[in-house]
Amino acid sequence: MSTAAAAGGPVFQKPKPASALSAYILIGIPLLLFALCISAKFGLVTIPAGPRAILLFTLLVSLMLTGMPISISLGLTVLTFFFTMTSEDPQVVALKLFTGIEKWEIMAIPFFILAGNFLTHGGVARLMIDFAASMIGHLTGGLALAGIVACAMFALVCGSSVATVVAIGGVILPEMVRRGYPMHFGAGIITVAGSLGILMLPSIPKVIYAISTNTSIGALFVAGLLPGILLSAMLCGVTWYLAKKRGYPKMDKATWGERWTAFRKSFWGLMLVVIIVGGIYSGLFTATEAAAVSAVYAGFVSLFVYKALKFKDVPRVLLSSANMSAMLLYIITNAVVFSFILANENIPHAIADWIMDMNLGWIGFLFVVNILLLLAGNFMEPSSIILIMAPILFPASQRLHIDPVHFGIMIDANMEVGLCHPPVGLNLYVAAGIAKMGITELTKAVVPWLITLLVFLVIITYVPEITLWLPRKLGMLYGG
Amino acid sequence: MKIILRILDRLEEVIIATLIAAATMLIFVAVVHRYSTTISVDVLKWGKAHNVEWVTLAGTAAFNFLRHIDLTWAQELCIYMFVWMAKFGAAYGVRTGIHVGVDVATQNLAPENQKRVVLFGLACGAFFTFVIGSLGTQFVYHMAHTDQTSPDLEWPAWLIYLAIPFGSYLMSFRFIQVMVSFSRTGELPHHDHGHVEGIADDTPTVPGIVGHDVAVAGAAR
Repeated sequence: MSTAAAAGGPVFQKPKPASALSAYILIGIPLLLFALCISAKFGLVTIPAGPRAILLFTLLVSLMLTGMPISISLGLTVLTFFFTMTSEDPQVVALKLFTGIEKWEIMAIPFFILAGNFLTHGGVARLMIDFAASMIGHLTGGLALAGIVACAMFALVCGSSVATVVAIGGVILPEMVRRGYPMHFGAGIITVAGSLGILMLPSIPKVIYAISTNTSIGALFVAGLLPGILLSAMLCGVTWYLAKKRGYPKMDKATWGERWTAFRKSFWGLMLVVIIVGGIYSGLFTATEAAAVSAVYAGFVSLFVYKALKFKDVPRVLLSSANMSAMLLYIITNAVVFSFILANENIPHAIADWIMDMNLGWIGFLFVVNILLLLAGNFMEPSSIILIMAPILFPASQRLHIDPVHFGIMIDANMEVGLCHPPVGLNLYVAAGIAKMGITELTKAVVPWLITLLVFLVIITYVPEITLWLPRKLGMLYGG
Repeated sequence: MKIILRILDRLEEVIIATLIAAATMLIFVAVVHRYSTTISVDVLKWGKAHNVEWVTLAGTAAFNFLRHIDLTWAQELCIYMFVWMAKFGAAYGVRTGIHVGVDVATQNLAPENQKRVVLFGLACGAFFTFVIGSLGTQFVYHMAHTDQTSPDLEWPAWLIYLAIPFGSYLMSFRFIQVMVSFSRTGELPHHDHGHVEGIADDTPTVPGIVGHDVAVAGAAR
């Protein structure tokens, strides 16, 4: 059930304390808090509003620390609260719990996951790498640069970081080693460049943010484009510098004829960008419809055009997409009710008041939010963090007049950092799996690009124009 | 008993895979239908404007054909399909170990202590899903006594929400199953993200899966 274990092996081996006490403490605290809630129910103790909010969070955290699924911890906290603390009608709760995911926007998630899975195994990635390599392969460290650009291209059509790492990394890492790059260099690049997957155009964390804050999905998608290009450029710069210093190889310069051939071959994959972008921005279809169309298109291209996917594998792709989607939808179901409780208890409002009282200003506020999210990135994966944190922090950001789209992209960029470092960074585990490297070794290898990513995060946080310019030009922001 | 369990496993997989495929196709068809209707009108207009009779006729025929197919219910059906997929998929996810948790506090515990905490977590999972299943049963039971129907399809609402008790009780059962096998063997189902996002190696007996083909044979030439 644990992330680290689930993602493939022990992280850091630490000496294990022999005492059974710690286990009983872990189990005991949630039980104790539960007992407290029950006694409040029967009037043995009275808990005023302030401590009640603290109780809510302590219960959630203590349940999560036992390592049970995040969705279950959220659900149990919600149930406990509803049966002991509020006078809310149980029928209302039940309705919330059962109909929480019946929103058309949420349905984009399974479609994007399916599209991503088809693309990962559809041979699109290899052709994108070919194209990128033919364009910039002749520079120093050419194949590494091509890897970053290919990640960016793949990210344009795919909404998941992990899928990007698998798709691009699986093809390019063996090739880089064959051409004389050290494995840790390539794996380090792909780990971080893969995180472009959730930044550029479609992205599952963006859909989740849009759902929990009622922000326009289309605007969020397009807002990620310029930051994505900026991050790619920054990563390329660092890579080029390191490659130059260490004397990594160039590739032969491709002729324009070869470049055209490479482009034509990857054309079918890149067409998907046109479908998604053109479809949503011309108003032809909603984000969810675009996701469904791209899933069908990706399946079609993989099966009939590139023929990298065989028919007998389709059920397995469907099953694993359904598995992943159901997991996310289950967290969303419980998180929706959790944020309903928060609102019911007036907690986001109180937190917003408290932040306003501290007079942080938007600069200080965003700094604190970033630190908070970076810390959270050590324990949870992006979807859960956004589902829990966005409803809490969003009202405060609104009062400080931070644009919802800018706030969303900042959170998204922040989530990228958590994906690239231990203990829960999925990109890192996946890249380590492909490269057959130890986590500790890869963690060291990632450092130069991780620092680049942090610098990028600071830029995105404090220069809102990078995010907002494009959606504003396209008339997708409220202020236009 | 074993056979029943095997059938249940298989049924679960078939249901969720079919639902995601059907929902995707449904929405795709609905979108295509919507646009071909508008396009047929454009064709019709063009035919009239340029006095090309067969184009006008073809446009009219296509429009009349498309107009009579009503797909306004597609969106609603898609949502219900995904609700069912989510409930049964969540149960399937317990079996494949995809529901992730936070392991900072537990990873450094001694094995026997870790076992206690993990068992507690699984028990909580079984308990929670059982409670939800029971609440859901009540919910559906009340609903069955009303005439409530879904807005577009006009299906009885209780039928749609049957997914909640079924899915939740199944999930509870899966948690108990994992608990039993964990206390016996000390092993939890693992979801390996490195292979996922497509053809995972849930059944490693099938050789030559695409993921490996790409990783091994693919090269940026």
